[in-house]
Amino acid sequence: MIGAKILIVDDEEIFADNMARLLQIRNYKVTAVYNGESAIKALEKDNFDVVVLDLKMPGMNGIATLKEIKNLGLFTETLLLTGHGSVDAAVEAIRLGAYDFLNKPCDIDDLIEKIEGAGRKKDDAWKKDMEEKLKRVIESPSDAFKLFD
Amino acid sequence: MDQNLESKKKTQYSRLFRRFIFLTMICSLVPLLFAGWAINIHYSEFAKERIIKTLQTRVDYHRKIIELFLKENRTRLDFIARTYSIATLTKDEHLKHILNSINRDFWTLTDIGIIGENGDHIAYVGPYDLIDKNYSKTFWFKEVMEKGIYTSDMFMGFRKEPHFIMAVIKNENGQRWILRATVNTDSFRSLVENVRIGKTGEVYILNSKGIYQTRPVSSGKILTAASGFEGEIHDSLKFRYLDTFDKDVKIKKIVCETWLKDPRWLLVVRVGEKELFEDVRHANRATLVSLHLSALIIFIVTVLITSHMVSVIKKRDREVERMNNQLMQTGKLASIGELSAGVAHEINNPLAIIMTEYQLLLDTEKRTPITDKTFGEQFAGSLNQIDIQVRRCTHITKNLMKFARRTKSVIETVNVNVFLREVIDLMGREAKSDGIKFISLLDDNLPSILTDPSQLQQVFLNFINNAIDAHEDKGFGTIILSTCLTKDTTGIVITVEDTGSGIKNEDIGKIFDPFFTTKAPGRGTGLGLSICYSIVKQLGGNIHVESEIGKGTLFTLTFPFKPPEDLLKHG
Repeated sequence: MIGAKILIVDDEEIFADNMARLLQIRNYKVTAVYNGESAIKALEKDNFDVVVLDLKMPGMNGIATLKEIKNLGLFTETLLLTGHGSVDAAVEAIRLGAYDFLNKPCDIDDLIEKIEGAGRKKDDAWKKDMEEKLKRVIESPSDAFKLFD
Repeated sequence: MDQNLESKKKTQYSRLFRRFIFLTMICSLVPLLFAGWAINIHYSEFAKERIIKTLQTRVDYHRKIIELFLKENRTRLDFIARTYSIATLTKDEHLKHILNSINRDFWTLTDIGIIGENGDHIAYVGPYDLIDKNYSKTFWFKEVMEKGIYTSDMFMGFRKEPHFIMAVIKNENGQRWILRATVNTDSFRSLVENVRIGKTGEVYILNSKGIYQTRPVSSGKILTAASGFEGEIHDSLKFRYLDTFDKDVKIKKIVCETWLKDPRWLLVVRVGEKELFEDVRHANRATLVSLHLSALIIFIVTVLITSHMVSVIKKRDREVERMNNQLMQTGKLASIGELSAGVAHEINNPLAIIMTEYQLLLDTEKRTPITDKTFGEQFAGSLNQIDIQVRRCTHITKNLMKFARRTKSVIETVNVNVFLREVIDLMGREAKSDGIKFISLLDDNLPSILTDPSQLQQVFLNFINNAIDAHEDKGFGTIILSTCLTKDTTGIVITVEDTGSGIKNEDIGKIFDPFFTTKAPGRGTGLGLSICYSIVKQLGGNIHVESEIGKGTLFTLTFPFKPPEDLLKHG
């Protein structure tokens, strides 16, 4: 999924920036933000395929941000970055609908593998949704405007 | 230091022992002995008083008997004198008949005689040859003439033998004559001594001048003066203590004295105090012996109970100390765990940044390769080292997190034998290449236990890894794994024994401390055994270690059939 749009959320600015650059080098379109609130704003403004979200952040933490993202009703998949001690929180995140989690510090190749997986899942879900909508359009063309509003 | 502490504790316990004994003695023996002695003294005083009162009553009664005896005989003589005329009485046979009649039941009188107004013996019946004697000059003759009826003191008289007489005067048709009788001395003495008490007791009579009227047993002769005689005549019964000496041995005696009315004789009853109070003393002795015997029994029982109590306290103290040590170890682990988890978490972020920087450099180098070959090699080498060291750090933080793990346990039924065989399979290959042989002595009848298999696996992988590492210097050896039931059959025992280098004595206490390692830097984090310790504790088990340098180490792990309740409930 070359060219996927990725949002990196981490309160460690250098880490977020470095990650963004590493992914950009690998031809991803990356935006880095440094807290949960900015992430929600960015998601409201723009479409992203995958959000890479740090679990432990001041203010709105990873779990809270994830809940907000899920509330937005987007297809965007979320990958969580955790310290080794927060396995329980990571499990909780998956229960809340996150795609997967990765332990920090992580290898760039492992991260890309997970991002690809998440991207594919997002695409599949998007495609499935589209197909369903098309089916309904075909069945009742009058609803088309409502569906693609 | 430890020995000092040990001896200090020993003194403390012996002090405790002594204090317990002392207090118990004070609280039980002192009141017992005090009350016992007090009652005993009070009782003996009371008993002595009663005995003395009884003695006084007896002496008084005896006085009355003697008085009665004398009075009866006087009355008898008076009766005879009044009844018979001199003509009748001077007939020898008649007089003899009278004497025999009087002496029929009791030999009261020795002789009897009639004396004329001029003092001549007119008639006489008795064992002495006295018929021709004239009594006009004797003291008693005058007294009789004067008083009409008279009882004399003891005197020798014509017969030259101690005796006393009774006489009455009769006036018959203007002619005066005297009826005189001698009281039998032996009979009188036996009557007097009738009241004699015990072996040391003596009874005698003194006249108003202090002359012995009967023969005392111990000291003095009849008709000699008694020592210490006061001579004061009174009508009451006097009682006193007297110290006498028998061959320089002091003997305390009790003396009762009472004056007879007619004649004025003093009845003296003496009795050894010791003998009189023998019964009281005997009762006293019995009471005191039983009292002290009770005290001795109390003492022995106290000593036994106290030593038992102190040993129970000692045992409890040891238990408390052991539990405290365990608690301290657990607490130490918990606080270190918390601290290290925090540190690890914080280190993870910079490590993550270093990792990304490393990857950026790697990417940059790929895109724009370094032309200078030496610099390029140096750069690549440094990058590689950064990668290795970051991974090493990651490994450490990972272990630290595991050490402080708060993940939920998954409790399952585990057949420990099957489980251990799997672990041996897993480690066997590595061990074989190191020349180490595994021996498993597993109890086939071992029941399954409820525990967390993944945590247990971590524990045994760690122990076996350590056991393999312990053979590093030797290059060969044996690792023995065994299982069996605990002695009290409340759980199972698993032992891991190696023939490796062993653990130094001073290190044994530290091996479960976090970060303690004897491995070379970079080879061990020093967290393995402390993680094992906290896992085993969490699963309700225990670890015991024995080691000998150069011979090997034996780890004994015990696990209950079920983990603690809270672990079962909350996972």
